[in-house]
Amino acid sequence: MVEDTKSLEEVVVVGYGTVKKSVVTGAIASVKAKDMEGLTVPRVEDALKGRTAGVTIAQNSGAPGTASRVTIRGVTSINGATPLYVVDGIPLDGGALDILNKSDIESVEVLKDAASAAIYGTASAAGVILITTKKGKAGDIKVNISSNYGVQSPERKLGLVNATEYAYLRNEASLNGGGGVIFSDPSSYGKGTDWQKEVFNYSAPIQNHEISLRGGSENSTFFSSFGYFDQTGIVASDISRYQRYTFRFNSDHKIKKWLSIGNTFIYAHIKSKTSVAENDYYGNVLSSAISLDPITPAKYADKNVSVPNAYAVKDGDGYYYGLSSYVGQEMINPLAFMQVNKDNYNWADNFSGSVYVEIKPLKDLAFRSTLGGKKAFWGSEKYTPLFYYSPTQMNTSQNSYTRGRFQGINFTFSNTLSYNYKINDHNFTVLLGTEIRDGSGSGLTTVYSGIPANSLKEASMNVSMTKSNVSSWGYEDQPHKLLSYFGRLNYDYMDKYVFTGIVRRDGSSRFGANHVFGNFPSAAVRWNVHNENFWKRNNAIDALNIRLGYGVNGSEDFEDFKYTSVMTNVGGNMFGNDQVYFGYAPQSPSNPDLKWERTTQINLGIDAVFFKDLSVNLDIYQKNTNDMLMKKKLPGYVGANDNPWANISSMTGRGIELNVTYNKQLNRDFNVSATGNFAYSKNKLTDIGDNDYITLASMQASSYEVERYMVGKPFGMFWGFRTNGIFQTQDEVESYVNKDGGKLQPNAKPGDFKWKDLNGDGQITADDRENLGLAIPPFTYGITLKANYKNFDFMVFGQGVAGNKICNQVRRLDVPTSNYTRKALGRWTGPGTSNSYPRLIEGTDVNGNYTNMSDFYLENGAYFRLKTLQIGYSLPQSLLKKVSVDKARVYVTSNNLFTMTKYTGFDPEIGGNQGIYGIDRGVYPQARSFMVGLDIAF
Amino acid sequence: MKRILIYTVISAGLLSLTTSCGKDYLDVDPKGKALESNFYQTEDQLMEGLVAAYASLSHEGGWSVKMIGFNSAGDECYTGGASVGDYSNYQAWNTNTMTAVNGPSESFWNPDYQGIYRANLLIQKIGNGVTGIDNALTNRYIAEAKTLRAYFYFELIRLFKTIPLITKPLEPSEWFTVTQATREEVYAQIEKDLTEAAAVLPTKSAMASSEMGRMSKECAEALLGKAILFQNNESRMEEAAGWFNKVNTAPGYALCPNFKDIFDPTNKFNSESVFEITHTASMQQGDWGAKIFGNMYVIAVGPRSYSHGTEDADHTYVSGWSFSPIIKDFADFMKGDPRFQYTIADVDSLVAHCGAKYTPGYQNTGYFIQKWAPLEKWRVKTGTTELNFPNDMIEIRLADTYMMEAEALVRAGKNLGRAKDLLDAVRARVGLASVPATLDNIYNERRLELATEGHRWDDLIRTGQAATALAFKGFKKGKNEYLPIPQSSLNNTKLVQDPAYQ
Repeated sequence: MVEDTKSLEEVVVVGYGTVKKSVVTGAIASVKAKDMEGLTVPRVEDALKGRTAGVTIAQNSGAPGTASRVTIRGVTSINGATPLYVVDGIPLDGGALDILNKSDIESVEVLKDAASAAIYGTASAAGVILITTKKGKAGDIKVNISSNYGVQSPERKLGLVNATEYAYLRNEASLNGGGGVIFSDPSSYGKGTDWQKEVFNYSAPIQNHEISLRGGSENSTFFSSFGYFDQTGIVASDISRYQRYTFRFNSDHKIKKWLSIGNTFIYAHIKSKTSVAENDYYGNVLSSAISLDPITPAKYADKNVSVPNAYAVKDGDGYYYGLSSYVGQEMINPLAFMQVNKDNYNWADNFSGSVYVEIKPLKDLAFRSTLGGKKAFWGSEKYTPLFYYSPTQMNTSQNSYTRGRFQGINFTFSNTLSYNYKINDHNFTVLLGTEIRDGSGSGLTTVYSGIPANSLKEASMNVSMTKSNVSSWGYEDQPHKLLSYFGRLNYDYMDKYVFTGIVRRDGSSRFGANHVFGNFPSAAVRWNVHNENFWKRNNAIDALNIRLGYGVNGSEDFEDFKYTSVMTNVGGNMFGNDQVYFGYAPQSPSNPDLKWERTTQINLGIDAVFFKDLSVNLDIYQKNTNDMLMKKKLPGYVGANDNPWANISSMTGRGIELNVTYNKQLNRDFNVSATGNFAYSKNKLTDIGDNDYITLASMQASSYEVERYMVGKPFGMFWGFRTNGIFQTQDEVESYVNKDGGKLQPNAKPGDFKWKDLNGDGQITADDRENLGLAIPPFTYGITLKANYKNFDFMVFGQGVAGNKICNQVRRLDVPTSNYTRKALGRWTGPGTSNSYPRLIEGTDVNGNYTNMSDFYLENGAYFRLKTLQIGYSLPQSLLKKVSVDKARVYVTSNNLFTMTKYTGFDPEIGGNQGIYGIDRGVYPQARSFMVGLDIAF
Repeated sequence: MKRILIYTVISAGLLSLTTSCGKDYLDVDPKGKALESNFYQTEDQLMEGLVAAYASLSHEGGWSVKMIGFNSAGDECYTGGASVGDYSNYQAWNTNTMTAVNGPSESFWNPDYQGIYRANLLIQKIGNGVTGIDNALTNRYIAEAKTLRAYFYFELIRLFKTIPLITKPLEPSEWFTVTQATREEVYAQIEKDLTEAAAVLPTKSAMASSEMGRMSKECAEALLGKAILFQNNESRMEEAAGWFNKVNTAPGYALCPNFKDIFDPTNKFNSESVFEITHTASMQQGDWGAKIFGNMYVIAVGPRSYSHGTEDADHTYVSGWSFSPIIKDFADFMKGDPRFQYTIADVDSLVAHCGAKYTPGYQNTGYFIQKWAPLEKWRVKTGTTELNFPNDMIEIRLADTYMMEAEALVRAGKNLGRAKDLLDAVRARVGLASVPATLDNIYNERRLELATEGHRWDDLIRTGQAATALAFKGFKKGKNEYLPIPQSSLNNTKLVQDPAYQ
């Protein structure tokens, strides 16, 4: 919440209405259109990144079009409650935000505290993001053109060993495992294939073009825009691309003095190629590029090379792609995979918008009815030819053509009545409202096998097929409905004392019969100290206010019908002549008490402006989430097939957030500003029912989990063994004994890890594991520096995290022949060679060097990334006036220019899905881009 | 001002528009899924509800192969397997070291109560009839459910000292407040269920061949006789004998002429079979640990890493997991009995004479179970072959009820001539001469006739021979007659652990 004395009359969107900035009682961050100028913002949430303390935007991957994981004030629930997005008053699922253009957006507000978010009741626990699109303005039609074009490249490559080194290391690992020499002459392989180079694109294009028109008369205004965005991925560009076309039309009409209507409408068409897995060691392109041996050539130079299967993949010129005889399983030649999948794509057509009617029988009384939502169609087109990648990955029987067709609709109908009342210096605003939400969706996928076609282009579903060659499956979404009543009172006395009170009552089809409705109240106060009579105007502090709020929020971000007892197949029995009969019994007992997860939060904030130019906001909060869903363990005598879901577990979180803005007009030509934000948050579990702990995320080839959570410990915690150096000699193994003289690691050999006996019981067991660090960064920060000198402008924006660890799992451990990172060159090879990287071994990892989850895999996850560097030049007004142009600006910009980190993987920014945070399984890295752009307004 | 009023009213009206639908608006059912609340409406659904209770008979396959447990407990077999860690829950019974946490308790307690819940649920749902469905049908289903419920309770009350008696599905408020009933109360419920069921169920001879395997009148009667016999109340022995007599004289029942044929999977529901737990090879499923329709005990008892030589088809085994190796003393005891070759596989002699090979497992004796041996001729050729043996388990057969009737008559001191005839009939089938119908002779005959069929431990316990016969397995009198209540049913509940295990 950037604040300065001049902007106190700015309004802030608070949900079902707006308030003056000076009477905001909660912790609300606001990002305005002007803050986004010059940024490349493929998705709205990207605009929030690093902008405001306490809102963490972690890119799940650098694949074009990927959504980010947005977290407001840390983890709210073990079940992954996500923020609610509301676009022009209509809730929208987070994944659908890509239908918005940057230049459509007027403002983005984030309701961070519970007192503010309570107006969204059972959808608000993880915070609320309100997006307001631009409306028309009376006056001449204004045209804005914003256009940029650039190229992208990977910021860095992983350090992997070359073919000679690979052969050498494998020989060594084989000998260590009791095997023989595999490669008799390692140096004969030279450097070999650089698979990363083969799949990376160092000049992948990115472009964005937006045109908007805005204008209207006193009674009728409109805003319209067209946009085109096209980003080619830096990894396997042939199968990684995102293209979007958008069209928007907003209009507002004043029919009578007391009657207004209006609409927002958007259509977006998206075409994408998403065949590159984003963070998956079982994936195709990146994990293959990391793990394939460098000995295998990318392509064979000889067209007539003998291949093991007729369907081995060839390039366009008829050269076969190299087939690895060393690395198998999911690892395949990524170029062959690209060739096979190059035409396949996904598409989406989204129609979204809203209409409203506003009736104002009195100047201060307004009734508003809004109906809005989204209708989406999406699908996929895929042709699978006959191919052979490896002995386990092939399709040599029939080609096939797969078409997916899906659709969904969500709508919201809300009605509000608001009334302003002023008596003397007392200002009241009362809001009452009701809302319903509903939605449905369905889909169908059909596969034609053995069609007369050789490519997606030739494939058609017009061909007549025999029944046995057609397979198809579909689904329906389960119904999900919400019914809400809400009210809000805003009160202020002379702009000194401010009070906001909210009650929302939400019913959801996801709750059990005993708790169909939940109540979500909140109260918040604000004291504008600088408006007091006793406040002396002074030169040091220009403004000061204090905010305090408490609220109750809910989350129903879990599956439908968890409360109910669904019949399920529970095996069967045979009667007569081998006739099988199936039995059906309730999956689990119903739980009519099942209800929302309940989050309460108290927030204390202070805002101050010093020396006119420096504004500071400080917020501290404590939040408690109770009633988180888990399965209730029932005693066996109940006889249930499975345990029912119940509101069981709880966690707490607390944090501090600081925003600092400095803005100085040094002279007529020179303006500088600096904005910084910093946040710290931590959480811990306080109750997980009857469970000692819950495991999260597994590691290939290991029987130990990577993360777990337990009472008293934070959510998102790495759990494993601690290494204590490496046994350099057999003597060290022999002398690593417990107090009774028993050897702790009797089977260890020199070169193996020495494990710490953490529980001190004199042996190394699964109980010798502990908290190895946080997977979610507790510290986040962002810095923006801006300067304007005459017609030049300069902006630099960086963002970073600290305090977390990343689990580097890019190498396929369960495939011992996988290629090694260069770190392996520093392995233990004899006494004194290494105390941190154990000996390589092909064969049983008796000591668990590589198969134990341990601090060996963890690296410091802190980074600082220069997100944007931009230099612009605006053409002089004197020149522009002659051609009736309001503004013309050209700029050059670079995104992700550099990243400072000790992390050795592709990219330290790893979002991750629910429960699997901070694990790098070969994440699709973000691109570094260089762009030129143009903004014109007339 | 009037206009304002009108607008306000309109506004208020619109505002309430969305609320008028109220709670009903939120009342939705899942698509494509049947709910407990709207199930049990059609004949098919009733049958599916009933089959769910039947499915608990075999403990749904899975890892809970209860015969490994019963045979670990008695003096015929060890647990065996690959190592002492293999089926450690049953290994604990083999050494009588079971605790509330590690031991066989859960492997019986949970599936049995699951079966009870499913029977209770069906009885609750259709107890008062179902609209549109003939009462004759619902009455039969209820009778079957009661028989199954009694069967599960009878297994529980034999294995645990005191247990909760639950006769309808528990309400959420009752999940953690249930207490244990007395043994008398449990037995009373078992007898009540079986008496009521026997009055309704059809006799096996009246059942269609497609219904074989379902509960018959004789199932209920045999279970009732057993339940009375096991209570060891000498004054009720004549009553017990009466129930067995009904079974033993029911039409369509006769001892199989050839002992070997009783266990042949091509001879299912034979004239000797009273209560049969069915399996099939037809599903060919490979769902390890979950719902298995084949008989997993078959592969479990096969010799480990077996490769055959020149054995005949009845001794050509599929390589198995070497569970339930026969204790040498027992093999010696059976030597010379004509049933030996159909009961015990002397695999070491096959190695010596036919060139077979196998890897000795844990507690190997060279002797394996023959009654359910994994013969190559029964093996399916596709799917997960090792889990899909078709052999049924015969829970109660006529030789058993013959001998139980004989025992009850001897203990009642009534009709000793019939007791002798019954015992002689069992012996005569395998060519053995008549012996006097004494209790010792009857128990001796049970041991030989019913070897490895899961009755031995029960017989030792109920006749008071366990402390002596099982001393070599660490059996402690006054304790190991029962299993401890599993810890998972003690946590947060009102159940009290058997004092012997506290």
